[in-house]
Amino acid sequence: MKGMALIEGPWWSLELLPRLPQRMVEGILSLLGLPDGLVHFTGLLVAAGTVTGVFLGLFALLSLIERKVLARIQNRIGPNRAGWFGILQPVADGIKMLTKEDIVPAKAEWFLHLLAPVMIVLPSILALSVIPIGREWTPVSLELGLLLFFAVGALTELSVFIAGWASGSKFPMLGALRAIAQMVSYELPLILSALGVVMVTGSLSLPDIVRHQGDWHLGFIPAWNLFTPWGLVGGIVFFIAAIAEANRCPFDLPEGESEIVAGHMTEYSGFKYALFFIGEYLGLFAISSLGVTLFLGGWQAPLPWLGFIPSWCWFFGKLALVIFLFLWIRGTYPRVRIDQLMRFAWFCLIPIALLTLPAAALWHYTGRGWLGWLVSLPLFFVPWLILTMVFNKRLAGTRRTYRFAES
Amino acid sequence: MNPLDMLLTLSALLFTLGLIAVLTRRNAILVLIGIELMLNAANLNFIAFWRYGPPDTAGPMFVVFSIAIAAAEAAVGLAIILMAFRHTRSTDLDKLNSLHG
Amino acid sequence: MIPVLILSATILAAAAGAVWLARPVHAALLLALTLALNAVLYLVLGAHFVGLVQFMVYVGAVAVLIVFSLMITRTTDEVAEVAGRRGRFLLGLICALPVMAVLSAMRMGAGPVSIGPSPSGPSLKETGQTLFTSHAPAVLAVAVLLTAVMIGAALLAREDKPEPGKPE
Repeated sequence: MKGMALIEGPWWSLELLPRLPQRMVEGILSLLGLPDGLVHFTGLLVAAGTVTGVFLGLFALLSLIERKVLARIQNRIGPNRAGWFGILQPVADGIKMLTKEDIVPAKAEWFLHLLAPVMIVLPSILALSVIPIGREWTPVSLELGLLLFFAVGALTELSVFIAGWASGSKFPMLGALRAIAQMVSYELPLILSALGVVMVTGSLSLPDIVRHQGDWHLGFIPAWNLFTPWGLVGGIVFFIAAIAEANRCPFDLPEGESEIVAGHMTEYSGFKYALFFIGEYLGLFAISSLGVTLFLGGWQAPLPWLGFIPSWCWFFGKLALVIFLFLWIRGTYPRVRIDQLMRFAWFCLIPIALLTLPAAALWHYTGRGWLGWLVSLPLFFVPWLILTMVFNKRLAGTRRTYRFAES
Repeated sequence: MNPLDMLLTLSALLFTLGLIAVLTRRNAILVLIGIELMLNAANLNFIAFWRYGPPDTAGPMFVVFSIAIAAAEAAVGLAIILMAFRHTRSTDLDKLNSLHG
Repeated sequence: MIPVLILSATILAAAAGAVWLARPVHAALLLALTLALNAVLYLVLGAHFVGLVQFMVYVGAVAVLIVFSLMITRTTDEVAEVAGRRGRFLLGLICALPVMAVLSAMRMGAGPVSIGPSPSGPSLKETGQTLFTSHAPAVLAVAVLLTAVMIGAALLAREDKPEPGKPE
């Protein structure tokens, strides 16, 4: 496969640790005298397996950490029965999911009902393959990596619909329609905020975007895209749109338990439900990884003298930070209504995301320095002010007034 | 049969299938499916000639524009079908045969 | 050659299913499959940008739009689609065969064609530069078209409700 990152340096260096399984297998197989093509192919399989295995392990860890973090936010403890501090809870969950009866409703189309969970996990794994996880570890380094990411995101929408429709009952169908409307609406701010990054970097290739952010201003401020005017706004827009794309609270109307049972996943039980879970969390990883790559500098260290820590450590650290933000927001905000959701996307996020493009251009052509900040910030501030005034006036009539009982 | 002929046959067959869908289907949205198949067949033709024909870079360019326009036309077509559905509560094309409401 | 052959066969099968099946949602899903396989075919033939754009736009937007509107316009009347199908399809086939004949005659009348060398394909930078310098009027025209379509579709599909007054 063309484009795999070159492997340099001694095999025991920490930087090349992720490559170790692949190199070991390739070494053993070529020692056994197998043909070159087969060795290469098996090496690629091992590389893909490594990435999938790492992220599935992270998924198991996240399912526990999420419950613990949410519990702490809600002033309780969370799972602590299965093993020390609940560390075996994912194992217990896995055993439970695997041993549950697999119920397929009578009115459901069994083939599509079976296909949908698989089709939801597949795009997330595909999307994870183009993310540069370390300096020497981009599973598939494509010239059009970002485009592949968004293309497989489009596949997720169709899978959600198939899941909802194939279940043959009303709640899943309604949940699927809402989920698709939400995903389609929030895909626009997602892509538009990523376009600013592409414009400034001049490439759709994700490793290039990360390498472009490898500088340090004034010796200690990293040149990450988040620390530019358009990147700050674009990063926030990307983050909000990512919450909506991943169907997380406060945008988890399609799967809110108090609203429509479990939305498109209602009629699923046992391992198929676990697959939906896996797909959702892997999608969360994929989109957070993309956010880290585009705006937080990927595997770049924040200070030049911290470069001795392996690059993939920095990547996973930043990923952990973003995921913690997701969990934090989940535990803090209530769910929004479907019409509020759509309004927010179309009337607020898309105009702001569109504004990142001229702001990035202005920032670039005024020298990318403090003058750039001075010129592009009003470009955001003025429309934001206008939008806020317009919305405040519109919503003034519907603002709630509280009347407290006189005691 | 060289690869170019094979792809051209494929695109001609896709076009014919799309045409059959447009001619025979009674649900308006299924007619739109046929139209999309026909547009797709034309795009395939462009890419086939770009890949196997004389050197030229215009093939993918044209297909990008064609995809954009096809998406736009699908959107407008579906909006019109939705309006007609609201009016007559049916997507059956045989019922949409008079301008009188 | 072999991957192209297998892909072509599956594309034809999926398209035939999209045209033949009576249940609208099945036909729409088979259309999504046809479009996805077409995107894979473009990727195999070396048009990477076009293949990914086809995936993103056709499968991710057009197919989703079609299934969405199928759900909105669902009625209990699916008998209409089934009644008299064989006759209609036969007539449709008879009407479509001359088109196939014309296309074949055009191809056969053009004589043998020399297979050119496999094009290296425009790199992304060249694509971008061509799009925005020599094809710029076309891009602007498509932009105007898409804006008009967006506004038009939103206006068309809007429900005619009276303006909501201030709630009490």
